[in-house]
Amino acid sequence: MAQPKQEWGTRLGVILAVSGSAVGLGNFLRFPGNAAQNGGGAFMIPYFCALLLLGIPIGWAEWTIGRYGGRKGFHSAPGVMGVIGRGAAARYLGVLGVLIPLVVYFYYVIIEAWCLGYTYYYLTQGGLGIDSSQAVADQVKASTGFFTSFTGQAANGSLFQGRHAGVFVFWLVTFALNVYYVYRGLSKGIEEFCKWAMPAMAVCGILVLIRVLTLGTPDPGHPEQNVVSGLAFMWNPDFASLGNFKTWLAAAGQIFFSLSVGFGVIINYASYMKRKDDVVLSGLTASATNEFFEVALGGMITLTAAIVFLGEPLTRANTGGTFSTGFFAVPVVFAHMPAGRFFGAIWFFMLFLAAITSSLSMLQPAKAFFEEALGIGRGPSTALLTVVCLAGNLFVLYFSQGLVALDTLDFWVGSFMIFIVAAAQIIYFGWVFGMERGMAEAHEGAHMRIPRVYRFIIKYVSPLYLIVVFVGFCLQAVPGYVRTVLGDAARGIPPDHDAQLAWLVIVAVMAGLFAVTVVGSRRWRARGLDLDGLRGPDDQVRAA
Amino acid sequence: MTIGGWIFMTLSVSFVTILCGWCFYRVLSLPEEEVPQPVQDFHSA
Repeated sequence: MAQPKQEWGTRLGVILAVSGSAVGLGNFLRFPGNAAQNGGGAFMIPYFCALLLLGIPIGWAEWTIGRYGGRKGFHSAPGVMGVIGRGAAARYLGVLGVLIPLVVYFYYVIIEAWCLGYTYYYLTQGGLGIDSSQAVADQVKASTGFFTSFTGQAANGSLFQGRHAGVFVFWLVTFALNVYYVYRGLSKGIEEFCKWAMPAMAVCGILVLIRVLTLGTPDPGHPEQNVVSGLAFMWNPDFASLGNFKTWLAAAGQIFFSLSVGFGVIINYASYMKRKDDVVLSGLTASATNEFFEVALGGMITLTAAIVFLGEPLTRANTGGTFSTGFFAVPVVFAHMPAGRFFGAIWFFMLFLAAITSSLSMLQPAKAFFEEALGIGRGPSTALLTVVCLAGNLFVLYFSQGLVALDTLDFWVGSFMIFIVAAAQIIYFGWVFGMERGMAEAHEGAHMRIPRVYRFIIKYVSPLYLIVVFVGFCLQAVPGYVRTVLGDAARGIPPDHDAQLAWLVIVAVMAGLFAVTVVGSRRWRARGLDLDGLRGPDDQVRAA
Repeated sequence: MTIGGWIFMTLSVSFVTILCGWCFYRVLSLPEEEVPQPVQDFHSA
């Protein structure tokens, strides 16, 4: 049965959908901590270098690849990568472009549910019950304790019996919202949602920013804890850090993960664009929107507020990572802030919107893949996706001790594999598809030209930059995660059971997706699709 | 806050805000997208 062709309603819609996919918790919670630990204002030098040499060019390549693949009748990473990389190897590598968003969804939707839960607590119970008359260090302890209990970190299965079993309600609401909007399709679901969610997120962010910048010096007993010293903590440059490879690595990683390149989402979204739809200005606009949320909002709000209410030592101790910043430190800030209940609700609602616009984008690639590889319709593909995601979500919810399972999935799939997909994309684009052909394809219907220097950057600089960063990333982080899975007899570290199970989940999902690709390849060949990209760009799709 | 801090903050925030504003200005000032007309019935008036 022929499926109705899906496409975007407006050019603004697709831009907001891609921006929504990119803007997530990392923009507001990971970026400021990363910058403050790696040179403050000086961090912005490697950060903008990575944006110009890595983020924007890989993004342009991905938009172009996706639209080209869509013209050939493919909407999923295996199909599109097979066309661009000309063959089965690229097609099977493209499976990672479905695996990544799908597996990241397994845990991301749960983090999303936490944000919704926190919004609920601020709206209905005035916050998390933090007593602002206690010493600030004790309040942070209380906030941390609430988070640990709320997320069931004490033991596996504790969420299924503990007093915070209510987290299930937030998860179910979040899960249902995601499935509903994805089922409605591109223009009526994802696009419609992002068209109001993105402006709403900006309004929430600007409201909180205004509140934070007008805090002044709320505690006369601590005149050093004021807005200017908060901004200084984030922005005062430490030029010595520029000589440290770790700073450049952190900056490149921040840009790379923040823009969602190599995630498999842009390929899928761009594949629904028409041949004459612009990809150059659209790609740049999506990246610029992400940067606005990250630098102008994320860089001004979180740490400034933390310094004002927590002081420097506690801010340093509690704003290293995404979770510690967002769920340990920030609730204490709102406990002290005038009208903190209202602003807390707005803040966590904004994080919820940031998360849901990202999670929606994670479902669409797998849905499109099931539809085109198995030849099934919107209903069955959504049902199949729902079953897979339910199983994945329940796994992460049950194995919640210390969030080891979540962390394992996040590292190996949400970080490590993204490098592989992004490197494959940029190399296939510059070296297999060809630079001249790639640029000509990108400029079809474009409303701005890609500067000529980017031919050199995309072909040589971006791949090299990416490989160097990947090697650095592996040397820095991989040994620790390998030890978690395999254990280290010499150091007396036993293997972590939850990490091993998380790996089993990854392997099982990968095996399933490979099997679907085998079925899909036969089907695509039978339909006469150009699945190895051997025909010209104007080859028409011969739909069976 | 040091002068360097003010400079980095102002330049960074201005750069991303202006870039984002310019991009949206370009996108929103483009001519209306063509909406395909439904095919007319051959016999309709």
